[in-house]
Amino acid sequence: MSQVRTETTARRMGSLALFISTLAATGAATAELPGPHLQDGRIGYVLTERHWAIYETEDRSECPQGMNSRGSRDLFAKEYSDLSEGELSVLETRLKVEGYQYHTNTATTDIYDSLPFYEAQGDVSHGLNLDGEVDAEDYTSPDGVEGVDNQLYRALGCIAGYRKDGPYWFFENDFMINNGYNRWMIEISGVDDLVNDDEVTVTTYRGLDNLFTDATGEGFVAGGTQRVDARWGQSFIEQVQGKIVAGVLTTEPIKQAKLPWSQPGVSDGYHIFKDLQFQFQLSPKVAQGLMAGYVDVEQFNHRFRTNWAMHHQNYGQSSSASEYAALRRLADAYPDPQTGANTAISSAVEVTLTQVYILHPEEQVSSSQATEPTGF
Amino acid sequence: MYLNNFLTISLLAGSAYMLTATNAIAEAPSELDFWQSANSNEQEAYIEEELPPGIQVVATALDGPVYADAQGRTLYTWPLIALRNGSTGDRKDGASNCTDEVLRTEIGFMSPYPAGLVLPYADENVSCTQVWPPVLASADAVEVGKWSLSERADGSKQWAYDGFPLYTSNLDKKAGDVLGGTKINSGGDGGVVRVPAGPLPDIPPGFQILTSSTGRVLVNDDDYSIYYWDNDEVNTSNCVAQCLDKWTPVNAPQVAENSGDWAIIKHPSGINQWAFRGKPLYTHNNDTRPRSFDGSDVPGWHNVYTQRTVTPPDVFTVQDSALGGQVLADSRGRTIYYYSCHDDSVAQLACDHPDAAQDYRLAICGNGDPEVCLETFPYVVADANAKSESSLWSVMTINPLTGRRAEAGEEDALNVWAYRQRPVYTYGGDQEPGVTKGDSFGEFLGRRNGYKAFVLRDVFQNSQFRR
Repeated sequence: MSQVRTETTARRMGSLALFISTLAATGAATAELPGPHLQDGRIGYVLTERHWAIYETEDRSECPQGMNSRGSRDLFAKEYSDLSEGELSVLETRLKVEGYQYHTNTATTDIYDSLPFYEAQGDVSHGLNLDGEVDAEDYTSPDGVEGVDNQLYRALGCIAGYRKDGPYWFFENDFMINNGYNRWMIEISGVDDLVNDDEVTVTTYRGLDNLFTDATGEGFVAGGTQRVDARWGQSFIEQVQGKIVAGVLTTEPIKQAKLPWSQPGVSDGYHIFKDLQFQFQLSPKVAQGLMAGYVDVEQFNHRFRTNWAMHHQNYGQSSSASEYAALRRLADAYPDPQTGANTAISSAVEVTLTQVYILHPEEQVSSSQATEPTGF
Repeated sequence: MYLNNFLTISLLAGSAYMLTATNAIAEAPSELDFWQSANSNEQEAYIEEELPPGIQVVATALDGPVYADAQGRTLYTWPLIALRNGSTGDRKDGASNCTDEVLRTEIGFMSPYPAGLVLPYADENVSCTQVWPPVLASADAVEVGKWSLSERADGSKQWAYDGFPLYTSNLDKKAGDVLGGTKINSGGDGGVVRVPAGPLPDIPPGFQILTSSTGRVLVNDDDYSIYYWDNDEVNTSNCVAQCLDKWTPVNAPQVAENSGDWAIIKHPSGINQWAFRGKPLYTHNNDTRPRSFDGSDVPGWHNVYTQRTVTPPDVFTVQDSALGGQVLADSRGRTIYYYSCHDDSVAQLACDHPDAAQDYRLAICGNGDPEVCLETFPYVVADANAKSESSLWSVMTINPLTGRRAEAGEEDALNVWAYRQRPVYTYGGDQEPGVTKGDSFGEFLGRRNGYKAFVLRDVFQNSQFRR
């Protein structure tokens, strides 16, 4: 990883910058970081907050045309409002929009064509420089770092559901917390020093347990335990090399990673990230920062339409078909060898992880064996 | 049946742990906990109560004992439930809302669609009572116990149980059929469904029985699973010392007495412990969630059922899945899906079977194109002479382009496997065993009009026991 990128990542978000400066001011304390949380050169963190990185201003200047209104309610209002009861069939309306969202690729017409789609405007966005270059389509971070790749923000930034007062922003995080399928964690191993270490290994796992909360039930507390899901969580396990500089963990790209991202009651919600990188400010209790990579467009669309009903999509004033079209238009990586069309789109995710003791399978087995009855 | 569940663990350099899957290991059906043999006589006991003339109790394969009419047809209630935009169904102690009125438009209770949309079957003169005939009583019928009489709009009397009017289903053809039932729970987004009416199970206080994909599972009042252990003897617990670190005997009160399948035994620690059919009962201290099967992962320990479903046909397999559990799969390991559908008429009629309008299913699987449907969600093709020992499974002959039953001798008809008289499917996008990418494909995450994976065990969703 280049020096430029390291400096870039260390100054990414306002809140992160404040966090870093706080740590710098308490340098003496950070030198004593290992303590009880770092055992055998290992420290674990479990995901406790997660949102797509959407840059928002108070006056919404990034959305000068306003928010998108491209859901099925909007379509009904525009296309069918003049017709009275009994004039339209289930087949012409409800089943038309429901069927379309599952077969957008093969449909001959865009049923939302009469409604405009608004992309986010401006040249400022959160994110990382994924390709190491500064291109015309790249953003500058709020801290002034150039070359940020986040075309997903351009596609979703003016859809109300993804902004801080929107249902996807809130509920996707809530579901991450309360649906055990989404329990995702990292373990940093080979750690000599949590402030500066030029070679560490980062492994991702899915956990099996509920999050450890404070007395309010809404805050998360370090020191909990998570068992590794060794039986069903194989596809979520990845390993990558990284380093820690001034308390900031950065990693090499993971070629392809699957991250659990599911609604309750849905058995298979996840995103596929290519070239996934981490940039986390570390403390003994919290890891906070960005995950960034190229998210697979087909899987983004499939996950969205199978995890959010049309009813919920309308809360966000969007539709899976609208988003899918925008993602395909703005996709900026991994061209299909046959068609040449890009299949993945640059993205960033703001995350907070809380320290947790990770219990590995052999430790679980040992624990279980100790309970086997003997001597009968 | 085969089960993939073996993993190896390897320690990598740098003290980081990585886990990798290895080859599948086959297990014989008898070694699986999920099923019982077709020859098994295990049936759920129930509490007898006084019945009106002509009403009987019938054993069923999935729902335990249910009430049936004189012809053996299962009786159903239709409890009122709130949907997104309104409520429908029958109020307790109220009159039936299932009428003779011909259904022509949607009621608009299913967000986000407005009322007044013309139903696909609007020209077929279908009414609620054609699909759900009310259980009528004779003029001199007398109420007894929980059985009361409800007056219909035409002045006729309809039997009600526990305050809810009773119906039969036009799908049920023989005693023990519960084809009017559904795998989807009532309310919310799945529609207001009919529920088979049955007697209370004969279980002591402190226990419950839940209907699951694999049978009637015993849990405690808090929904935590009950287990038994192979190393116990009949009505004798051998779980002492370290065993008690992970297993807790289910306490029986001093005042309780032996009854039917249930006995009170003395655990070596001196406490009273419940035993069921001679097996001492326990909870698993490591169960972190209710309705768990985790205890059955420990060799020699098993969940307790009052009755399990009969083993599915041997073309089906069980696969571990990243969903966190196990799914039913075809012979290649591809996950099996069932299709659920309720329309949004005031009667909330099922559209999930070949005798109903196929427009709903064809919209989801093919945007109206049946050829696309055959690629997206192909049927699970069966040999023409294939048989099932389980009454839940059968072979249907389907016209693949209409989705309806094929006429005799019809060219290009397909013999397909069906569960409860509904064809089952695989998903074209599932490329590996145990993958469930087709789950929730459809309206309201597949619950209202769409496809759901046939889940047998679901760790993270608290094993909601999708039926």
